[in-house]
Amino acid sequence: MRNLLLIAKREYLERVRTKAFAIATVLIPLVMIGAILLSTRGAKTAGHIAIVSSDSALAFDLQDDLEKNDSSEMLVDVEQPTPGWQQRLNTAVSKKDLDGYLLIDSSAPDPVITYSSGSKGDISTKSTLNNALRRVLARERLLHRGMKRKDIDALLKTPVLQTATVSNGHVSKSNTTSGFYAAYALFFLMYFVVMLHGINVASSVVEEKSSRVFEVMLATVKPSDMMGGKLLGVGAVGLTQVGIWVLCIVALLFTPALALMGAGDFKLQLSGFQLVAFVLFFVLGFMLYSSIAAAVGALVSSEQELRQFNMVIALPMAVNTFVLVPVITAPNSLLSTILSFIPTSTPLLMFLRLSIADVPLWQIGLSILTLSLSICAVVWFAARIYRVGILMYGKRPTLPEILRWIKYS
Amino acid sequence: MPPSLSPVVELKSVRKVYDTKVAVENVSLRIEPGSMFGLLGPNGSGKTSSIRMMIGITVPDAGTVSLFGQPFSRDHLQRIGYLPEERGLYRKMKVIDQLVFMGQLHGLSEQVATKRAQAWCERLQITEAIPKKAEELSKGMQQKIQFITALMHEPELIIMDEPFSGLDPVNAGLLEDTLLELRKEGRAILFSTHRIDQVEKLCDEISLIHRGLVVLSGRVREIKSRYPRNRVRISFEGDDSFLQHPSIAEQKNYAGQTEIILHGEDAQPLLVYAVTHGTRIQRFEVMEPTIEDIFISTVGGNVDA
Repeated sequence: MRNLLLIAKREYLERVRTKAFAIATVLIPLVMIGAILLSTRGAKTAGHIAIVSSDSALAFDLQDDLEKNDSSEMLVDVEQPTPGWQQRLNTAVSKKDLDGYLLIDSSAPDPVITYSSGSKGDISTKSTLNNALRRVLARERLLHRGMKRKDIDALLKTPVLQTATVSNGHVSKSNTTSGFYAAYALFFLMYFVVMLHGINVASSVVEEKSSRVFEVMLATVKPSDMMGGKLLGVGAVGLTQVGIWVLCIVALLFTPALALMGAGDFKLQLSGFQLVAFVLFFVLGFMLYSSIAAAVGALVSSEQELRQFNMVIALPMAVNTFVLVPVITAPNSLLSTILSFIPTSTPLLMFLRLSIADVPLWQIGLSILTLSLSICAVVWFAARIYRVGILMYGKRPTLPEILRWIKYS
Repeated sequence: MPPSLSPVVELKSVRKVYDTKVAVENVSLRIEPGSMFGLLGPNGSGKTSSIRMMIGITVPDAGTVSLFGQPFSRDHLQRIGYLPEERGLYRKMKVIDQLVFMGQLHGLSEQVATKRAQAWCERLQITEAIPKKAEELSKGMQQKIQFITALMHEPELIIMDEPFSGLDPVNAGLLEDTLLELRKEGRAILFSTHRIDQVEKLCDEISLIHRGLVVLSGRVREIKSRYPRNRVRISFEGDDSFLQHPSIAEQKNYAGQTEIILHGEDAQPLLVYAVTHGTRIQRFEVMEPTIEDIFISTVGGNVDA
């Protein structure tokens, strides 16, 4: 036990002192905050277009909407369909002076509207145009029927949707959107940290193997102590990192820092239950993935070779993100429930489910049990592979050889 | 250290098979306290495999390993210092941290380990390496650090696998002196090397191992006395007709000197013959056989070193 702790301590100190640790600690949250802000705020549609219409009232209304509404800051020209207009605008689009033009043919009772543009893929411009047209045409038609502008504005006002969560029979007045983003952020936090430190365990094993530190170590220490110490040490590094982030979040929540940053009423909502679940599932997930990683590290003999095998860790991890959308949209569906019971997915998906929906306690308990049992099995196998693998250099063992190791060691 | 009568290491009919290759077969040996023991043999003969079984890195398929008079147990490992053939240090770790870490793994407290690490660095003249990272050191320096990690906890048994490889003569001498001092303190030392000539003069006892089998073992004096002193090294000027003398079985000519092997052990008639035929003898030395000679004659020159 003393040796295990000594090894863990060495592993921990050597890692925490590196620049890579400091960089990852700062960079991972920055990247995540950036990604979340991008996906929530969304960029406003910009660009320069022309509207060609004989109905100038309609055209100016549309121009007004496109230049001033919430999701667009386009530059809009209004043109009359004078002879040769198409030729002129086509040239402007080719020369990239113009991104596209909108032709409104209002000769028919239902106006025919065509948008011609230089790029095929500009989905956001198209949807912005679509929304603006719907608003402006509705207003136009209501005006024709003799309604007053003031009444129309009141009629077309978008309602504000207030949200609340029902859990255990009680309604809590929480903002589900920010609660959801908190869960989303923690999901990716766990993803990155488990992945990063899982791979760290593997490369740390390979480093000891390629620098031949093993021989000396094994002459004093049990292989199980070496592996255990490594998992403990690297895991503690991960927890330290998470701890730093949690402290920062708490500092943001309980000081005016967030408001000063202009985030307004955007609050991250985290319950104590969620935090406890996060730490628990993080630790279990780390244990599972890093013991797989330790076995992988023991099987290969160089960093280059390890890179090919990082897949073994990265792939089951990536499955979590592939199924993210179905689980988020229906957290308590049969599919989501089954997925969250697959041991390699339990840490992330069960945590996500319980953060965004009411998951029956027995499911949470059962998933922790199955995950823990899987960890025991993986650690058992990994320890055996590790024990033989670390003394193997050169030739990579074949699958039958590995199975033999497990049997005999 | 209290004197103990039981052998420090005892292997009895040990066998180890890797997959299909027999690494070690029926190997038995005893190392007495306070002695220097040479485990000698060409590369790949089973030296390292034998050592790994002594210190529990691998488990023998058959036979028994005893340490300090008791069946093998991991608790004994703290009384052993091991310098493996493949040197291993944490590249990015500072030398002092590395030494203290290893000392602690061998049961020392942090304070004691730090003090001893300093003292050993002074003794081996590498104090300038203490604050550096291992990757910044020369190979010879890394080797000295490795040497210290094997000795810091004052082990009763010191196992050195190819200790002199990669060391210049000055440092090899320093290491040799250190090991002799350690033996004087009553510690047992096991050398394993394929450079038989290098350690011959240091060892009290040897085991020659070839293709996993012990082909020769015992006290160096005894082994040598079993083989005839029939080699003569001669330097001479003038008439070389004495080299046709019937007592000569074999001869090799080197620059300026000749080495001959006699049929018998008596070199006197040859010397008389040479002198009476007017050859000027500058050197006429009857040599005892080297362990290397004995090894080669035992395995029939069949050495794939």
